[in-house]
Amino acid sequence: MHIAPWCWIVGIVLVLWGFTAVFQKLTTNFISAESTLVWRTVGFLLFMPFVYPGKELYHHSAHSVAYGFLAGLLCALGCLGLFAAMKAGGKASIVGPLSALYPIIVVILSPFVLHESITALQGLGVLCGLIAVVLLSI
Amino acid sequence: MAGWFWWLLFCFACWGPYALLSKLGSNEISAGGMQVLFTLGSIPVVLFVLARRGFKLEKNRKGILYGLTAGVFSAAGSLGFFAAFRSGGNASVITTATGMYPVVTVLLALVFLRERLTWVQVVGLGFATVAFFIFSH
Repeated sequence: MHIAPWCWIVGIVLVLWGFTAVFQKLTTNFISAESTLVWRTVGFLLFMPFVYPGKELYHHSAHSVAYGFLAGLLCALGCLGLFAAMKAGGKASIVGPLSALYPIIVVILSPFVLHESITALQGLGVLCGLIAVVLLSI
Repeated sequence: MAGWFWWLLFCFACWGPYALLSKLGSNEISAGGMQVLFTLGSIPVVLFVLARRGFKLEKNRKGILYGLTAGVFSAAGSLGFFAAFRSGGNASVITTATGMYPVVTVLLALVFLRERLTWVQVVGLGFATVAFFIFSH
């Protein structure tokens, strides 16, 4: 059976982010969600020297660099939005699972932005994945 | 419409483009480079949070230690996220597949925290297994 290389990488991401969620939950037992965001970013900074690619980073086009920078900005803003939703009266048991549905936006926009399409079978996989993440987050 | 719902839409408006921009950036920049830029991008938001709190944070040692550990694990995971995009995988599939990390969280809670699975979570694991099987082909 041939398994695409990215599948193995995704497996590693799942394990690392699975542990992240556990540590985040432990963190919020002691400090606020906003402080968690701050210390998590400090953790990012601690990790940065190990992946810093050196001068290579300065040779990329401005728009590619902007994509990477904006990805970080939007991800952090989304986290703030999630905290704000909970502060505005949204129950964690409802807001959390619903927020996990954000890949729907990617599925909708990918054909227009990335010129990518998915097969019917992959579409079924995406549907099963979205149902799974909501059920597991309840 | 409840106020929290608009904030939820705001989350979608941020996280959807975040994944798309990650894919676009990863087409040209190495996973390590993307992780560095991603970290730099999150700093303005952190500064905003700090300024709003008057640059005061709780000083609970355990909270700080767990927060830092979460950050390191999250960064390592993001590195893999960018690497998966760079390896040529479909953005919709990779975003959905990596979004299923609660599978691991539930299993970790089962093993280390001795939590019990609810029937809803069992059904969720079933759907996740089907999704993984489809994606791996």
